[in-house]
Amino acid sequence: MNKIPINIWINDQRYEKLSQVGLEKLTEEVLAGMKVLKIFCTEEQKDRLIKKFPKAKYDQSTTKSIELLPANFKDELFDKVIEKKSTNILSEVL
Amino acid sequence: MKIIGHGNQPIEERILESKTVNNVIKKLNYISISSRVARECINIAYGFFSPLKGFMNSKTLESVCQEMILPSEVLWPIPILLDIKKEEIDKKKLKVGDQIVLSYQGQPLALLDIDEIYQYDKQKIAQTVLGTTDEKHPGVKMLDKWNNYFIAGPIQLINEPKFQPPFDRFWYTPVQLRKLFKEKKWERVVAHQTRNVPHTGHEWLMKGAWFSANGDLSVEKLKTGILVSCIIGPKRVGDFIDEAILLGQQQLNDSSYFRNDVHMTSFVLWDMRYAGPKEALLHAIIRSNLGCTHHMFGRDHAGVGSYYDPYDAHRIFDKVPEGKLNIKPVRILEWWYCPICQEVTYSGLCGHTKERQNFSGTMVRSIIQDKVQPTRLLMRPEVFQTMMQSAEKYGFGSPFCNEKYLKQRQPVFLLSPIS
Repeated sequence: MNKIPINIWINDQRYEKLSQVGLEKLTEEVLAGMKVLKIFCTEEQKDRLIKKFPKAKYDQSTTKSIELLPANFKDELFDKVIEKKSTNILSEVL
Repeated sequence: MKIIGHGNQPIEERILESKTVNNVIKKLNYISISSRVARECINIAYGFFSPLKGFMNSKTLESVCQEMILPSEVLWPIPILLDIKKEEIDKKKLKVGDQIVLSYQGQPLALLDIDEIYQYDKQKIAQTVLGTTDEKHPGVKMLDKWNNYFIAGPIQLINEPKFQPPFDRFWYTPVQLRKLFKEKKWERVVAHQTRNVPHTGHEWLMKGAWFSANGDLSVEKLKTGILVSCIIGPKRVGDFIDEAILLGQQQLNDSSYFRNDVHMTSFVLWDMRYAGPKEALLHAIIRSNLGCTHHMFGRDHAGVGSYYDPYDAHRIFDKVPEGKLNIKPVRILEWWYCPICQEVTYSGLCGHTKERQNFSGTMVRSIIQDKVQPTRLLMRPEVFQTMMQSAEKYGFGSPFCNEKYLKQRQPVFLLSPIS
C-alpha cells in the first residue's frame, strides 16, 4: 500500500498546469498560496529511493515524508504527474 | 564634534596608520588570533563595542558575568575575551606590560598592550551568561573550544580590513553610519537584525517596527529609517550563505518594496553566542553605537532550542535601569499568513488563530531547496532571483552553506601586508 509521501511544492505556475489536467484538487494549501502535492510510495519504493539518492532521508519524527530528494528528480516527478494525469507514477521513474 | 555612544561615552576609533608602526612591530612578539578574535578586534577598533577599548581583564569579566556591567557601571552583558594557549604564553615569554602584535591571515592586524594574563572558569562564564553548561548549547560549545588562558588589554588596529565584493558596498563603521543617517535626515532609525534571506514575514517585521519607531513623528516628511543589520560571522551547513542574505535584503530596496529614503542594508561582524536575552542586550548596545534609536526584537531573538522562553529577549529590557541604554526595544509578536484575511497579518491583531499559516523556516527552506519559485505572497520574485544568482556566483550552486562553501568560500575581508 502506498503510504509514504513525497512533498512536491506547487506554486501558481505549477497549479495552473495541474488545473489543466484536472488534478488541482489533490493539492493542499500550506503557506501564503504555496501548495503541496503528495506523491505516495510504498516501503519498498522508499528504500529504493534512499538507495538511489543517498542524501535523501525518511523523516520519521516530524514530517513523516521523504526529504532531501534532488530538486531535478522532484521536477521529473511533477512532469510525470502532468504527463500521466495521475499521481501514481513512481513505478515509472524508479 | 564628538559622537556619543553606549554608556554616554564618546566613540573613538582606535586605529593607527600602518606607516607609523612599521618599525615598531618588527621588534614585537606576534600572536596568531582566531577569526572570532579578529572580528572582535575590528569591532573594538571602529567603536561597534564602544566603550570597550580592548579585551576584558578578570575584574571586568567577573563584573560582566555576575552583574552585567563594566566596572564603570556601564551595562554590558557578554564577555569579550582573547583566549590563548599556556604554551604560547610560555614560549613567547609574554608578560604584563608587553606590547604584542595580533596577526590574522598571516598579516598584522592590531597592537595589544598586555594588562593581565589570567585564567577563568569557562563553566562559570557559560552558566552566568548563557544560563546553561549543557554542551549541546552552541555558545557552550564555542566556549569549550576556547583556550584556557586569557590576555587582556587595550588594542589599536594597525591594518584596516579590505572588504571583498559584495560585502564592501554594505560595510559601514559606526562613524560612517552616523554621518550617513545625518545626510539622510533620519531622526529615528530602527535596527532589524537578520541572518536570513527575507520572505514577506520578515518584510512585515520591518514594516511593523518602522510604524512603531516612527510613532508620533510627522508622516509628511519621513524622518525614520530602517537599518537592516545583517550578522556576518561563522556559518554552519544549512545556513543561508552571507552573500545571498545581504544581496537579498538589498533587493527589497532595489525593487522598491522599501523606499530608498527609508531603508538601507549593512552588516555587523559577530559570532553568535545564542545567549538569548543577554545577547539581545548586546545587539541593542551595538546598534546604539551605530546610531540607531530603536531595535526590533521578534520571537526568540538570539535563542536556540528551548534554552530560553521565546519572549525572554523582550522581558530583559524591563530590567534595564533608565538611562543605561540609549536605544528603545521595539517588541514584536509574530506575523503570519492568514488565508481568511488573504494577507500577511499580525498575530496581535488577527483573530483567525486556527486558520493561520506560520512562516515556517523549515518549509521555506524546503521550497528553496527544491528550486521552486515561491508565490509572491511568500517571497518577492526579485529576492528569489537574487538569492539564486548569489547561489550560482558565490554558493557553488546552493543558497545554503554546504561543505564546499565552508571550505572554499571567498573571504569576507582581506588584510594587506604592511610595508
